[in-house]
Amino acid sequence: MESVNFWNSVKEETRKNYIAVFEEDWPAWLAGIFIAILAILIFLWQAPWGIAGGYRNWGDWFYYLIGFNSNRPNVPWLNSMSVTNFGLFVGALASALMSRQFQIRRAPAFEYIKGLVGGILMGAGAALAGGCNVGGFYTAIGVFSMGGYAMMFGLGVGAYIGLRYLLWEMEHLPPQMAIQMSSGTVKTPRINWPKVQPYIGGAIITAAVAAFYLYSLFDKTQIGGLLFFGLLIGLVMHRSRFCFVRAFRCPFMTGDAEMVRVVAMSLMVYGLGSAVIKWSYIQPDTMGVYQPFWLGSLLGGLIFGIGMLIAGGCASGTLWRIGEGHTKLVVTLIGFSLTNSMLLNILKKTGLGEKLGSGVYLPNVFTWYFGLPLFFIFLLFWALVAIWNEKTEKFVIF
Amino acid sequence: MDLTIINADKVLDTSGLTCPMPLLKTKKTLKGMASGEILEILGTDPGSKNDIPDFGNKGGNQFLGYVDDADGVTKFYIKKG
Repeated sequence: MESVNFWNSVKEETRKNYIAVFEEDWPAWLAGIFIAILAILIFLWQAPWGIAGGYRNWGDWFYYLIGFNSNRPNVPWLNSMSVTNFGLFVGALASALMSRQFQIRRAPAFEYIKGLVGGILMGAGAALAGGCNVGGFYTAIGVFSMGGYAMMFGLGVGAYIGLRYLLWEMEHLPPQMAIQMSSGTVKTPRINWPKVQPYIGGAIITAAVAAFYLYSLFDKTQIGGLLFFGLLIGLVMHRSRFCFVRAFRCPFMTGDAEMVRVVAMSLMVYGLGSAVIKWSYIQPDTMGVYQPFWLGSLLGGLIFGIGMLIAGGCASGTLWRIGEGHTKLVVTLIGFSLTNSMLLNILKKTGLGEKLGSGVYLPNVFTWYFGLPLFFIFLLFWALVAIWNEKTEKFVIF
Repeated sequence: MDLTIINADKVLDTSGLTCPMPLLKTKKTLKGMASGEILEILGTDPGSKNDIPDFGNKGGNQFLGYVDDADGVTKFYIKKG
């Protein structure tokens, strides 16, 4: 009898923990800490985390395959950011399955057009800013590149303009036909999907871990590790529905300051880790500092900000939402990749890219002694203004 | 409160739309309603389960709860304050 009780309680505890981890949403602040830690680990493992570079690689391949570009790009499974992106997508997919939230989700026709336009704008913005909301903003600020602050300002203004557009659309365009979810005759599915989904999710995670060993076997441990880190980021982002767009949009929309607080805190953790890495030269101190300060970052941020509002997802949000089954964001990803790759090639060929600015390293401007306190004060100030705005709604436009 | 017998004064269908559209439309619709009226929002975006309850309790309004329908649609109820 004793042993039966023991196994029953193990089973009960496992069930309870499964629900806590895979069914209840994680608080955003916890995800913010996890993402900062993972970003630090990626930095230590190879180089600072980015996403747009992977999208660019996929776009490069398209132009190469149609004969538009004769340079053969690096294969996607050996391109660092492409592999991280793939891990992020797989992690979100597995997480959506384990929480029984995966579903092919269609949207009204007009939403696909918005997804495409948003993707094109984000692709263009990321090309100008030398990175997306991750590489150009989050990582840039985290690794003390001044371009990150310029992009942040651009993102804020862009989000404001994008929100204005969404409000205009709501007032002036006819409401879209809502998607009919139940299509008359509901067929009884042969497979009980809600019951099967978690097992498929588990199998996908196991396969991704196996892929790491496979990479290692072929002497590509570093790339394999990025797949694994990407997987964890995807899992964290999906479980918490982590959304960078919110940090820029909500202060204008509902006044909600939660994501500003989370992103600011996450950046403080990230900055602390990267200061340790850089100040002690564990990695070269200007590693990851290439965002074109200030024109490229500012302009890119502005265009990216408009795009992320229209598409309803940034570079990371697009990936994890595709993992959850949103078909609209597949269109966004295509628009992003093709525009980003093309514009970067144009910037390179015409030499215009050099006119946008160059990477400026914060400690070179302010020294470590003043730079580090300024870094923390700035983020604290951002969070405090957002909290003040939450109470007073001074910036809320609607 | 029993949500299955609730009588909504207005129904807003956001099925198929994703963040932030359901929230924007909710805010707009609530603005045009009288105090004490109940708004029912239909939605399919999983993100709405965080957004709408948080938003529903702001500005004097009261979030009453949500129910999942069999076909993947969630119904949210907000009472205008």
